[in-house]
Amino acid sequence: MTAQMKLGAFLWATGHHIAAWRHPKVHVTAGIDIDHYIQLARTAEAAKFDMIFCEDAAGLREANVGIASQTSRSIGFEPISLLSALAVQTSRIGLVSTASTSYNEPYGLARTFLSLDHLSGGRAGWNLVTSASPIEAANFGSTGLKLHADRYERAREFAEVVTGLWHGKSSGHDGQSFSVRDPLDLPRSPQGAPVMVQAGASDVGRDLAARTADVVFTAAQTFEEAKAFYDDLKGRLAAYGREPDDIKIMPGVSPVVAETETEAREKHEELQALIPDDVGVALLSSYLSISDLWRYPIDGPLPELPESEGMKSRQALVVEQSRRDGLSIRQLARHFAGARGHWRIVGTPAQVADELQSRFEGGAADGFNVMPSYFPGELDAFATLVVPELQRRGLFRRDYEGRTLRDHLGLKRPA
Amino acid sequence: MDNGATMHLAVSPVPDTSPGTGLEFNRLASFVQRAEAAKLDMVLLADAAPTSGGESANKPMPFESTTLLAALATVTNGIGLVAAASTMAHQPYNLGRRVASLDIISHGRAGWNATMAQVPREAANFSRPEGFSADDFRRRSEEYIGIVQGLWRGWDRDALLFDKSGGRFHDPEKMHLLDHKGEFFSVRGPLNVARSPQDTPVLVLSGLSEPDLDIAARAADVILLESGPIEGANLRYDNLKRRIAACGRDPDSVKVLTNISLAADGRLTAAADRLEEQFHAKSCDGFNIQLPAQLPVIDEFADLVVPELRRRGLFRENYRGTTLRSHLGLVGGGEQ
Repeated sequence: MTAQMKLGAFLWATGHHIAAWRHPKVHVTAGIDIDHYIQLARTAEAAKFDMIFCEDAAGLREANVGIASQTSRSIGFEPISLLSALAVQTSRIGLVSTASTSYNEPYGLARTFLSLDHLSGGRAGWNLVTSASPIEAANFGSTGLKLHADRYERAREFAEVVTGLWHGKSSGHDGQSFSVRDPLDLPRSPQGAPVMVQAGASDVGRDLAARTADVVFTAAQTFEEAKAFYDDLKGRLAAYGREPDDIKIMPGVSPVVAETETEAREKHEELQALIPDDVGVALLSSYLSISDLWRYPIDGPLPELPESEGMKSRQALVVEQSRRDGLSIRQLARHFAGARGHWRIVGTPAQVADELQSRFEGGAADGFNVMPSYFPGELDAFATLVVPELQRRGLFRRDYEGRTLRDHLGLKRPA
Repeated sequence: MDNGATMHLAVSPVPDTSPGTGLEFNRLASFVQRAEAAKLDMVLLADAAPTSGGESANKPMPFESTTLLAALATVTNGIGLVAAASTMAHQPYNLGRRVASLDIISHGRAGWNATMAQVPREAANFSRPEGFSADDFRRRSEEYIGIVQGLWRGWDRDALLFDKSGGRFHDPEKMHLLDHKGEFFSVRGPLNVARSPQDTPVLVLSGLSEPDLDIAARAADVILLESGPIEGANLRYDNLKRRIAACGRDPDSVKVLTNISLAADGRLTAAADRLEEQFHAKSCDGFNIQLPAQLPVIDEFADLVVPELRRRGLFRENYRGTTLRSHLGLVGGGEQ
């Protein structure tokens, strides 16, 4: 059998499009409705997705309350409690949640994910992130956001302690940021250890991923960007005694799919028209880690920017796109509001499958984290239109091969 | 029926110690479903972390309590679910939103059990090998609990507008910063989780020493006490209710429950006499029954003891509402 791609279903209350909550077909109370999420998880499981994926932030996403109140992103479920609920309402699909190394302690986080792993029979994964937002920092007594390198040094030690605990390491840890005396008081994971996911794409983030991650989630707009990232990261594995196949690279993709191309374009335009300008510019500002983008003419070019201590890789991606395509602030804002910096495909099931196949077979991805524009409609569309097309081409499984998330991803069971 | 006339009943499943019987989720879920069928107010879920210096012979549950609560919430629909979670293991912002989220998942049936007792072994696993002095730990706990309760009130009940055409998801005036700056924590808020269906999750305080009682009187919804001789328990109850009133709270707005272990009494019918005696002596508002997590044990309690308590007019026939606050006769969620 030829290699098959891995697929994640990236859940997010009303949808990944910033204005999804305003779409007529969207269930507006999705962010406080557990039944909505149970339905999404079951849809993804029926379509044989490898995993569902939930992101997280320990605070509001937008400091300006006027802007925040025009989006649906200020409230939602805390993802670990959400996935614990979904664990007993599903039976096969993997369950991955983001949790930050900046505002947790490794012993507690290792226990929590191992508990989720037991509840789900070996289907849990942890997406390790460091926190770059000053809004989050203010909820944890920080006097200022820590520098990028310091965040990653803490993350490296954090990951070392967590994986040590999961692997049943019995001796204590007494390090720079953390001290831990005992082994975990829970049995070993049904899959050896929960799956480690990482999303950082900066140089130091890539090194941490090469050392510890099983799955890497990333953002790439073009084939060339995706390919360069893929080759670079796989190339770093040997230094840590790992094989290229030990890590699965899954860029985000936000498809808008319909039976005909015209219909897909109309669907996309319908969503774009729902974005208020100030919401789009505010979102773009957050990706650029600056606060005063609104001072510049909205139809003019992006100004010169200082180097970010926030999301380095996301800032670089936006700047690169603005230079490459000569886009104005308004055009950039609308572009990024749609897919949050991720790859957007608008087209028929065959066109979407062609694009995914091209990146997969071109050696730029091992699979994709699918980010539906709005829920449940676009997840349903991907599951019923694109998945069968991928299956017909032999690019995606028709049924689960095993029981655990490691089984689905074809990852080795840790010794 | 007067809230004060009938006792409140919680149950705590104690992990089975017999060899070869792991506490798998389905069996635990059946245990909780049977407690729900008996209309008990709530289940108190101990956390699996070492709680007694590691000397406990109990086999730990293979689940951390808040993840367990979320899972149980989706397979029950009436009973309250209270998870123990340590102030050492979580930052207050993280714990506040975890429990707020659990409350929405359970449609208003969640609570948080905070222990006021410091566990040295926990400190050693959470980068605090030196721990805190008893007095520092007490002040830290009170500050922590105040932050969590404050965060739970960050969104007004009618803050979410869901106005698609007007583009207004929420009313900015009805979302409030906490802006807490204290001795141990500073937390800006608000939570990124909506308001609870029961306004705030239920706060249960346990592990109280004498100096903790005023903190409990100020903050708790439920105070959990260890059982003792009736005479002493009676005075203790009066004393607590006076402290609650002294804080400007209605004495009936805090429920005092006594831990009762029935593990050694394999003859559960005798338990009804014991509960009635303690309840009539006005030593508590109800009980937390600690039972081995075995289905025959909960069945016996539900089939023999609970009906006997009902015959004596000591326990209600049914839930009065849908939230944990309504079971406990506490204000909240617009049900009272």
